[in-house]
Amino acid sequence: MQARILDTVETAQSFIQATEIWVPDAAGTRLVRSDGLYGLHGAFGSDSSGHSFAMGQGLPGRVWAEGRPIILNDVQDGTFVRADSAERAGLTAAAAVPVYAGNLIKGVLVMLCGDPDFGVGAIEVWHSNNAPGSVMELDGGFYGSAKQFCEVSERTAFKRGQGLPGGVWASKTPMLMRDLGRGYGFVRAESAGAAGLTTGLGIPVPAPGGSSYVLTLLSACATPIARRYELWDVVPGRGGQKAIGALVDGLCDIDGPLWGTERRIQPWQGPVGRAMATGVPVAEVPSGTHRYEGMVALPVHAHGEVTHVVAWFF
Amino acid sequence: MKEQLVVVGAGMASGRALEHLFESDPDRYEVTLINAEPRGNYNRLMLSPVLSGEKTYEEIVTHDDDWYGENHVTTLFGHAVTRIDRDRRIVVTKSGETAYDKLLLATGSAPFMLPLPGADLEGVMPYRDLDDVNRMLDAAEMNESKAVVIGGGLLGLEAAAGLRLRGMDVVVLHVMGHLMDRQLDASAAYLLQKDLERRDIKVHCKANTKAILGSNRVEAVLLEDGTVYPADIVVMAVGIRPETRIARDAGIEIGRGIIVDDAMRTSDPHILSIGECVEHQGMVYGLVAPLYDQAKVVAKTLLDEEAAFKPVELSTKLKVTGVDLFSAGDFAEGDDREDIVFRDPGRGVYKRLVLKDNRIIGAVMYGDTADGAWFLSNIKDGTDVSGMRDTLIFGPAFAGGAQMDPMAAVAALPDEAEICGCNGVCKGKIVEAITAGGLTTLDQVKAVTKASTSCGTCTGLVEQVLAVTLGDDFVMPTVKPICPCSDLTHEDVRRLIKARELKSMPAVMQELGWKTSCGCHVCRPALNFYLLADWPLEYGDDSQSRFINERAHANIQKDGTFSVVPRMWGGVTNPRELRAIADAAEKYDVPMVKMTGGQRVDLLGVKKEDLPAMWADLNAAGLVSGHAYSKGLRTVKTCVGTDFCRFGTQDSTGLGIKLEKRLWGSWSPHKIKLAVSGCPRNCAEATCKDIGIVCVDSGYQIGVGGAAGMDLKEVEPLASVPSEQEAIDITVAFVQLYRENAKYLDRAYKWIAKVGLEWVKEQVVDDLGNRAALVARFDLSQSVYQVDPWAERASTAAHPEFTPLADFSMPEAAQ
Ligand SMILES: Cc1cc2nc3c(=O)[nH]c(=O)nc-3n(C[C@H](O)[C@H](O)[C@H](O)COP(=O)(O)OP(=O)(O)OC[C@H]3O[C@@H](n4cnc5c(N)ncnc54)[C@H](O)[C@@H]3O)c2cc1C
Ligand code: SF4
Ligand code: SF4
Repeated sequence: MQARILDTVETAQSFIQATEIWVPDAAGTRLVRSDGLYGLHGAFGSDSSGHSFAMGQGLPGRVWAEGRPIILNDVQDGTFVRADSAERAGLTAAAAVPVYAGNLIKGVLVMLCGDPDFGVGAIEVWHSNNAPGSVMELDGGFYGSAKQFCEVSERTAFKRGQGLPGGVWASKTPMLMRDLGRGYGFVRAESAGAAGLTTGLGIPVPAPGGSSYVLTLLSACATPIARRYELWDVVPGRGGQKAIGALVDGLCDIDGPLWGTERRIQPWQGPVGRAMATGVPVAEVPSGTHRYEGMVALPVHAHGEVTHVVAWFF
Repeated sequence: MKEQLVVVGAGMASGRALEHLFESDPDRYEVTLINAEPRGNYNRLMLSPVLSGEKTYEEIVTHDDDWYGENHVTTLFGHAVTRIDRDRRIVVTKSGETAYDKLLLATGSAPFMLPLPGADLEGVMPYRDLDDVNRMLDAAEMNESKAVVIGGGLLGLEAAAGLRLRGMDVVVLHVMGHLMDRQLDASAAYLLQKDLERRDIKVHCKANTKAILGSNRVEAVLLEDGTVYPADIVVMAVGIRPETRIARDAGIEIGRGIIVDDAMRTSDPHILSIGECVEHQGMVYGLVAPLYDQAKVVAKTLLDEEAAFKPVELSTKLKVTGVDLFSAGDFAEGDDREDIVFRDPGRGVYKRLVLKDNRIIGAVMYGDTADGAWFLSNIKDGTDVSGMRDTLIFGPAFAGGAQMDPMAAVAALPDEAEICGCNGVCKGKIVEAITAGGLTTLDQVKAVTKASTSCGTCTGLVEQVLAVTLGDDFVMPTVKPICPCSDLTHEDVRRLIKARELKSMPAVMQELGWKTSCGCHVCRPALNFYLLADWPLEYGDDSQSRFINERAHANIQKDGTFSVVPRMWGGVTNPRELRAIADAAEKYDVPMVKMTGGQRVDLLGVKKEDLPAMWADLNAAGLVSGHAYSKGLRTVKTCVGTDFCRFGTQDSTGLGIKLEKRLWGSWSPHKIKLAVSGCPRNCAEATCKDIGIVCVDSGYQIGVGGAAGMDLKEVEPLASVPSEQEAIDITVAFVQLYRENAKYLDRAYKWIAKVGLEWVKEQVVDDLGNRAALVARFDLSQSVYQVDPWAERASTAAHPEFTPLADFSMPEAAQ
């Protein structure tokens, strides 16, 4: 009865080709890999397994040291320790997003993309220093072949509450936008429409220090970033009661909109429940279905508690 | 043949009704669904996420062509029913006539448009259906476009947030004092406003719209106060009216809505009605929950089954991503109710339960609404909560959880926040000194950072920084809080109002973690004063927070009558004024006319209801209020000085008049009495006043901190200056310093004893720059507050304050 929003594209190639999670080791001195989804790039995955990063080392270590998300448009630029292996795999760009609970690093999500001339989509990091009157500006972005959209984005600034970046910034809440081709920032909307970018996921990235960061994943039908999105609100546990997650929004290429019926989840229940309980991001192959190659569950912290979990399936 | 059911309106209510009908008996009726909108049933509630881009229209369609097909519903969309012919049992649309056996009217409501000049301009729109959303989206596609939303209720705010997300500059105009006034109290509305302002949505409360301006299209909105907001579109969301036109024309019984019985039958047995268009037992509804119940009932009625609609308690949520509010039941204040309040300033959480006879009757929550449903069910069930009172506010999950940390307000201060204003010491510096230097006591912090070494009003704050930094290692000396609503002292509150830029009563109470929803008779007058003294332009005086004398602008006497004292500048009057006073005394039967110690005429025994008329008479003769009742400048007493006295050294009368004209009308922590004597013989008794000036050959000796009440005190010398101008400047600067720093209800001498005369001298005598700044701030405040309350109130004779049955709950001895 309800219309489908995401086209079913079983065969389409994913915009993001590898996803991994790095977490602090027991001593809290190095980041070690806890999850990795490599799809076609198994060799890169095996090459990565032995690695660990101290603060400041490699891309995950740099994210940790600088306390902010970083996008590397060219993994050959010197930061990326596994550059050779990435080159062999044809992975050219990487985005790394820290998950912080206050000043404490809980993990780093790394997403790798392939040929910059193939596929339309966008992974962006927006930044504001939060000074009075400040705006959100592009800190970094990987756009695949959406070159014109990239140029427009570099020239666009979002005020508080405006557009996906400004909206997430002001509300400190993840958002899933359906229709990037209308309104906000006019020029950017127009070129988003032209580039075929339809669905946009915006996630606040809390970081130590006074700055605000927002991660946006903009998806096109042909090379979707994800085929299913889920936004969970978490009511923190207190007074001895368990936390509860409630699905507040979502889209699926098969099930359609996910917000109509009430869905709740307990801590530790599935990957989303695990992200909720541990506060650490999760990336894994979902069990019990063959529909997806992998999924990410990214927790968002505020005031020392997990307040949201954003999950995407691809 | 099947019976013909015609449904007018494909909205939320009729969609539900048809579902229930087909579930129970799919074959009884052949249904025709007629809708004025050119589309079928969709979820109107979710229009706001469509506006914001967080949903698509396709997602919110509830019944599509397949569904109508499966259920053999004939649809006529884009056709309004223009007439009902009850005799022939047909409805008429532009495409012809449709016959019915049963007719279901579910026409919803029409948005109410304020009949303002310019309301018919292009670009002025309601917010009701998808077409409105599309019109707003078209506007949002223009670059740098601006929207004005009239109405700060649920619909208006959802529209504002959606338009903002689409990139428009948005202003919300709301006529009441706070947003969503029907669903929220002032504290919750404060947090909501803060949330919206974080999205750069401008909120203007107490905004009376005068006109919408523009030639063809809307260009701007004009308010009564002269403010103009440019606008490319104006969204009017000020209310709805049940859509009853076709029913009325057909002669069906109408009240505010189409009148129905418990089974949803109208006055015509063949016609039923549900939704926002109906009135049931005097009630009309604007939320969807009761309409769904009506849908259930009407489906049964259509199948000749018994059913009755019963209204239930409603709750509200706002569908703006990231805004978390909940409101249900009744939360007006009342003597028979009590409040349970919880605030967490750091997280922006406010929760309030209203209890009556051990039952929850209302709940308002902001920032954490997880327990909303539980409270609502307790309200509905009328659960006796006496057994769980202490933990009730924490919801069902509570099992000994943490209490609010009283230090939270201080802990939440950023490092740059100035703690010690005198010496410019910020929180970060104090914390650093404590941790780096291993400091554990106030004195050590004073010695190292200079914080709290001058006026000392920040002592409490420095101690709390110590406590926050050291944890259990610091033993807090016991302090006296402002009142049971808070753990903070007056001095802390004053300092935090400045440091955190708190500009309204709800802001202070939320950010400083007040334990009550709106304060008490002790803290409200104090906060009202602190706010108006620190933010004269931003804060609007709250007369309800004043003592009865200040509210009525006259001194209440022990028999409940009032005394009226006209101002006489410097104690100088003339025959015309005296005649007016005498006339007023006769006209209003004043039992006693008496001279006061401050050289004024006191009319005693005036009845409250006579006050406005008497003031009007005195005003007409040029007399203004003497403020004999206020915490502010009372009188400036003078002697005759050089004009008439052979000992006079300076023009003491002239100076007194100048000072009184400069200082009158300003509010202060306590009353201020002044006097100017022309020579040390001191006929004006200047040396026992709050400020006393004694003229000498070389100039002016200014003394401060005198008193002649319960305490008897001679002034202490503040300065001796050669010129009259300097004497005026120092006096004004002193008054402003006192206004900005003293605890409410501390007379000047008490305050000076706390901060030390030396510090006062530094501020107003030695530091010329600071003196000038104090004078400038005083003058700024006077630009707002130097108004004659008599003139203001005499013109509004029907002012509720002056009806005989006034509330004397806060009487105060005349001093
Ligand atoms: C933006 C928005 C947000 C809202 N949010 C909430 C919320 O969060 N919670 C909540 O409880 N409520 C909310 N409401 C209110 C809720 O939508 C209404 O209470 C509900 O839609 C009323 O249902 P109804 O069937 O009575 O009328 P409607 O849904 O308005 O349907 C009436 C239909 O009848 C049609 N009609 C009228 N006259 C004729 C005629 N003569 N001939 C043919 N057709 C006609 C109209 O075109 C309309 O389509 C919101 C409303 C709006 C506009
Ligand atoms: S104070 Fe001095 S100047 Fe004034 S009236 Fe008395 S004697 Fe005269
Ligand atoms: S308060 Fe005392 S001194 Fe003042 S008027 Fe009343 S009785 Fe007289």
